[in-house]
Amino acid sequence: MSYHASKHKEGMLLLSGLCVFMAFMLGYPAVANIWYSLSNISFSDIHTSEFVGLVNFENQLFSPKMWKAMGFSLQFGLICAALEVVLALLLVFTLHPILSRRPWLTAFLMLPMMVSPALMGVMYRLMLNEFAGVVPLYFEMFGVYVNFLGPENIYTTVIVIEVLQWTPFALLILLAARQAVSPDIEEAANMDGAKPLQLIRFIFLPAMLPAIVIVAFIRFIDSFRVFDHIFVLTGGGPGSKTTSISIYIYKLFFNQNAIGEAVAVSLILLFMSLILFVMAAKLIFRSE
Amino acid sequence: MIVQPKSMLRRVGNAMRWVVLILAVTILNLPVITTFLTSFKSTADINAFPPKWIFSPTLDHYREVLITGNTHYPSYIWNSVVIATVGTLLAIALTFPAAYAIARHRTGSTWLLPIVSNLRALPLIIFAIPFYFMYQSLGLLDTRIGLALIACVINIPLALLMLVGFIQDIPRDLDEAASLDGANVWQILRHVIWPASRPILFTVAVLSFIYSWNEFLFGLILSTKNAVPVTVGATFFVTSYGVKWGATAAAMILGILPPLLIGFFAYPYIGKSMLRGAIKG
Repeated sequence: MSYHASKHKEGMLLLSGLCVFMAFMLGYPAVANIWYSLSNISFSDIHTSEFVGLVNFENQLFSPKMWKAMGFSLQFGLICAALEVVLALLLVFTLHPILSRRPWLTAFLMLPMMVSPALMGVMYRLMLNEFAGVVPLYFEMFGVYVNFLGPENIYTTVIVIEVLQWTPFALLILLAARQAVSPDIEEAANMDGAKPLQLIRFIFLPAMLPAIVIVAFIRFIDSFRVFDHIFVLTGGGPGSKTTSISIYIYKLFFNQNAIGEAVAVSLILLFMSLILFVMAAKLIFRSE
Repeated sequence: MIVQPKSMLRRVGNAMRWVVLILAVTILNLPVITTFLTSFKSTADINAFPPKWIFSPTLDHYREVLITGNTHYPSYIWNSVVIATVGTLLAIALTFPAAYAIARHRTGSTWLLPIVSNLRALPLIIFAIPFYFMYQSLGLLDTRIGLALIACVINIPLALLMLVGFIQDIPRDLDEAASLDGANVWQILRHVIWPASRPILFTVAVLSFIYSWNEFLFGLILSTKNAVPVTVGATFFVTSYGVKWGATAAAMILGILPPLLIGFFAYPYIGKSMLRGAIKG
């Protein structure tokens, strides 16, 4: 046996554990998904489901509710990613002198990332509660009555919660990108009499652009699939006002027993995600 | 004399930066701070208006959640400990040899690595439904091992990416020297690569544990009674405990404390590799 062939065999052996595990945990569900999406499966007769063709896809592709949930997720993802990047940039440029001298302070800023989003949702529910929450009480003291969890404000509230929890992520990466800019360039620009805003506009932002694009993309796909904190706060309501595509699939599955249709939407979502990846990969590739 | 106003300006500017920092830390952590305070307040203090910031702390709510309240909360915490630990160890056991093969032999680097790393970005709900039926037929529904296997799937992408990145930077001379001494591949892994990878293994373990602990969707769908993790169990308080603010707050704090403490104290060690992993993902 040649050296390369034996190396290859050894490599395959080392990979086998992971491959078998992934094939079992993801391969089976992938195949099952395709069958479920083409059948009339339900909780009562899992084993006697029949082939129904593309009915499930047809029902969902022409369902305004599905597109409304998809639209919610897209909009939610875009708004959150944009706000997080802008906030993080403002914080990076303001706090950079402090944080680069005392890096340990950064640990306080990244604490929200360590909290489970579901529990974060519950904590906001306590904090924003109309009758006993701390925040509405303080607003009340200034004569302002706001019901943060009421139908008129809930959309803003779920966005603010997501932004407050994940701005730290954008902050960490953009801070690293800012610190990677060579001090020499900064000094040279300073000697030429550049004002701070000009420095940011012409030196830092262009240098940080690849990091900004990557952060925005990561945050977008993460917010796009949002489930946890919205589910514990509103369950997708009132009505379908805060129903993201993940919550929509969950509801089809558990509350409406429309399993075939839920899986069909999953596959539509998978397809859309793949398109998104290809587009993003091109974008990132170009910006680098 | 001319320098004077400029340095004044600089000092004011610096003070403003500190104000922004303190405000940012307070606002970002406000839910944790207020929940923490509420969990130690007596019920009378919780309902006080205006809200009290100074009060005599009580452990009553923690006692209720953990001992007297018949809440099953200790078993939820235990479930999360088991799920997160097993999910983390299994992920490392599976990805460590695979990462070595990818880093050194380039086996699978063109197909396995992209597949696994893209997995991280897919909406998890896509897998929820087939998992439900698969677990139902295998008898894994509502079991800790079932949820630990899922935690492992979720941890694998990050673990693999970070390990491959790190092992690539370990000098090849080390394993070649061991191989000349007659060590086989498993011995090289055990005695050369494993000890050299300790820092990254620590980071991977910490992050995997935190992610598994915080997982909610699969806990919600795949557990009903016996394997309920703390993230799901904590939400029961909102519906069934409605007005018991103190107990709910105590439950939240218990649920977020392990990842919060681990993350905070491990941050100086994991910060850098966390960034690298996030960017590559």
